[in-house]
Amino acid sequence: MILIYLIGTFLISISLFFNRITAVRKALVMLFLILQWAFTYYEFTHKGITEFNYFKPDAIAILLLFTISIISVPALLHSYDYIYKEKDNRKARTIYYIAMIFLIMALSAAYVSSHIAVTWIFVEITTLSASALIFHRRNAGSIEATWKYIFVCSISIMFVFIGILFLSIALGTSNDDSLHYDSLLTLAPSLNPFWLRLAFIFIFVGYTAKLGLVPMYTAGIDAKDKAPTPAAALFSSVLMNVGFIGFFRFYEIIAHTSLHSWANHVVMIAAFLSIFVATVYVLKVKNMKRMLAYSSIEHMGLIMLGIAVGGIGYYAAILHLILHSFAKSALFFQIGHIYKVYHTKNIYYLGNYFKYNLSGALFLLLAFICVTAMPPSGLFVSEFYIFKAMFAANYVYVLIPVLILLTFIIWTFAKNFFKIVFISPVDFDETQIQKINHFETVSQYALLALVIYLGLNPPVFFDNLINEAIKNLIF
Amino acid sequence: MLSFILVILVSFVFTGVVIRTKSIASGRKGPGIMQPMKDIYRLFRKGAVYSETTSIIFQIAPTIYFSSVVMAIMVLPFGHTRGLISFNGDFIFFAYVLALGKFFSIIAALDTGSSFEGMGASREALFSMLVEPAFFILIGSLGILTGYTSFHEIFMTFHFSTYITYAIGVLVTFVLAMICMIENSRMPVDDPKTHLELTMIHEVMILDNSGFDLGLILQTTNLKFAMYGALIANLFMGNLVWYFTIPLFFMFQFLFAITVGILESFSARFRMSHNAQFILVLSSISLLVFFVILMIMNKF
Amino acid sequence: MINILLIVFTITLLYFVIANRLITYVNILAFQGVLLFGVAFFELHEINLVNLIFILLETLVIKTFAIPMFLRYVIKKNNITREAEPYLPNFASLIIVTLIIVTTFVVSNVINDPHLNKIYFVVALSTLFSGLYFITTRKKIVTHVICYVIIENGVFILSLAVGAEMPLLVNLGILLDVFVSVFLLGIFINKIGDVMQEMDISELNKLKD
Repeated sequence: MILIYLIGTFLISISLFFNRITAVRKALVMLFLILQWAFTYYEFTHKGITEFNYFKPDAIAILLLFTISIISVPALLHSYDYIYKEKDNRKARTIYYIAMIFLIMALSAAYVSSHIAVTWIFVEITTLSASALIFHRRNAGSIEATWKYIFVCSISIMFVFIGILFLSIALGTSNDDSLHYDSLLTLAPSLNPFWLRLAFIFIFVGYTAKLGLVPMYTAGIDAKDKAPTPAAALFSSVLMNVGFIGFFRFYEIIAHTSLHSWANHVVMIAAFLSIFVATVYVLKVKNMKRMLAYSSIEHMGLIMLGIAVGGIGYYAAILHLILHSFAKSALFFQIGHIYKVYHTKNIYYLGNYFKYNLSGALFLLLAFICVTAMPPSGLFVSEFYIFKAMFAANYVYVLIPVLILLTFIIWTFAKNFFKIVFISPVDFDETQIQKINHFETVSQYALLALVIYLGLNPPVFFDNLINEAIKNLIF
Repeated sequence: MLSFILVILVSFVFTGVVIRTKSIASGRKGPGIMQPMKDIYRLFRKGAVYSETTSIIFQIAPTIYFSSVVMAIMVLPFGHTRGLISFNGDFIFFAYVLALGKFFSIIAALDTGSSFEGMGASREALFSMLVEPAFFILIGSLGILTGYTSFHEIFMTFHFSTYITYAIGVLVTFVLAMICMIENSRMPVDDPKTHLELTMIHEVMILDNSGFDLGLILQTTNLKFAMYGALIANLFMGNLVWYFTIPLFFMFQFLFAITVGILESFSARFRMSHNAQFILVLSSISLLVFFVILMIMNKF
Repeated sequence: MINILLIVFTITLLYFVIANRLITYVNILAFQGVLLFGVAFFELHEINLVNLIFILLETLVIKTFAIPMFLRYVIKKNNITREAEPYLPNFASLIIVTLIIVTTFVVSNVINDPHLNKIYFVVALSTLFSGLYFITTRKKIVTHVICYVIIENGVFILSLAVGAEMPLLVNLGILLDVFVSVFLLGIFINKIGDVMQEMDISELNKLKD
């Protein structure tokens, strides 16, 4: 099926490239969505069966596959609206769709790959397709963002490759098969600790570019700011997940070696610094999209804290990862609407949103509750578990500063969101307002509903999948 | 003894060959090969004029400079035969005898009180300082490779056997040739033909010397060329018998002179600010040679 | 023979430090491609047609011809100043790069691993770190791309040092990576040249908080 999926995506991209008819384009994109869902369902039903030696859908891959398939539906459908309302040329539009489809394909393939180098290749493809998306507007800002994104990601992806090379030194044997995650997991105790340590440092630093943690997070911020909103929604959710899965699979190996606690400390330092940096910038930024991008970094920091402390933190981290994907992508879709109304992303010029777009304003209020992890939100559950895990693992001295920083973030979010919704804007010309189709907000509500539902009342199969995903870490 | 005589002999014609090569390369016929020697002979017959501001140092410096190079030549071996002076660690003696001569030429230049000469002296001092680590690292690593510390034994035991020794040979030759060019203030760092004092290095230092002293200094340059040529030739001669080595020696010196001539004809002088980094590259390359040798010896 | 090529490779790094012109940089890249071809060719255990074609493609075709030609085109098209204009004087850079080489020697001496080919490891690491150092000290955008290729060359040597038989797929992935990255970056330099006047990274600092 994976082969059909990859070839199918490729064929759809080629047809998109040569196609000049709008209706056909729509049909092709729909076809891709069907293919994406068929692939997801197939992998769900064929869990744990290796395909072509390099792909094996395990529990976490399936979870993330469902996440991407759910988010890609509104992302691609909103793209119609996004692309058509703006006056850009046909070529740019075609490239946009192809890049979008390739991005989703590469992400899905990276999730299910069972070989460390194959994951690497697909992560590399995500960089290329993502840079095409960032470049969509073709102005000075997007050029700069694209340049930085390609450059930082290329360097960091090279770091990952160096890490893989060190890993193969740690293995001692030069065998292609031994770089499968499964065989690495069994070989883990016999790995050379010195090289493994180096490999971990390089791979971790390399993946932080995608993951959005401290050393390499910068490129992602500009990318999310300058990319079109549907693409930015993917960047801040599923693209970060691919960094997570790259890290997570390697972490599973580390967890079976003597370096486990050392790796935990490295991760914890990076996570804490990420939350700190995110807080500092969230307090400062005036650009709505950048604020959300920094908030993503904060959430990734929390997830990594959950991973680092272990125990129930593992479960909470995976749950948080998935719920955060839904919540953050929904918010980014809404940013598209806000931009359409005000033609600016600067919070200073936004306001009185209730008056201009009722459904959007209500959504913003709900999303505020969800994204800051207040009770009905599922993120509350996962964050609560993470804090509980930190408490249980005697990391109170980390927990307290983290909580203080989170308070700052919640305060800033409340201040900015309430300003957008309630306070009247500065210098705003009401006559030129574009009407927002309220049906377009439905998908955002649906994603938020998912956040609340999965958090408060997780279905059994979802619960089982998460537990299965972390089974290698609990021993 | 053999090396001493041969080097002195070669020194008579070396600069002549260089000048002749440059002439042919630029399409001229050029002076005879012995012309530089004739000039020096002419200078030797003249008396020297000393400025009133100079002291005794200025008067003795050319002699010391000359004799230091002669002394250094005595250290050089030739194939099987040792140099006149040969002992363990004689390459250090070699380097510092040369440095002594250079020191005297520098303080003599300062002694004149001319601002130009002071400038030249400062440049010369800087370049010599930068060249020194290159020379020591290079010969020192050859010493590690062969296990000996005197020129004679180093060159006797250095064999070309594997690819890597050829590579070392090439690198050592390159560095020695470049050191020679820098020590003699020739093309890549300094242009002997230049007519502007501001851009000179060595030439500006000897502006006040005249007559016999000038002749000595010019002859010292010839000797130095022949000396470095002998050093390079020694590297390749190894322990062959004398009827091979003597023609080989002349061939090497001749080739070296032609190379110098070609280099001077076809390359431009570096900008003054680029000289320091160029000389430092030589040290870096010698360091590389050092590491490569360590690696061959499995000592690291 | 491989050792000689690797030594020459290290010397090219030193030459890169003191080179002043962009064209020299590009020529160094092309020369490094030839050296890498030599290294990979001698490293081949058995002459296998697929491997040979792959190595030819990666080193000679792409690294020696395609990328340098493209970079020359980019430099010419955008009228980029021919001088390299580093932030630090070359003299200081030279000392730093020499120190990097010395440090990697010492480090690889400390690591005593039988699986590791030491000279490869030293050359790879020093190329890697020198490349990173060059990126931080060069001002032009196009030099960043050049330094990126240098880092990539270091990774190439490192993969030979490890001696692991990476699947062909992975090698192709790396090839794609380099090729596409350089070309994308080159195209972006053209775009930047259209939008902005100066080709310095000082132009690329509008996005910040």
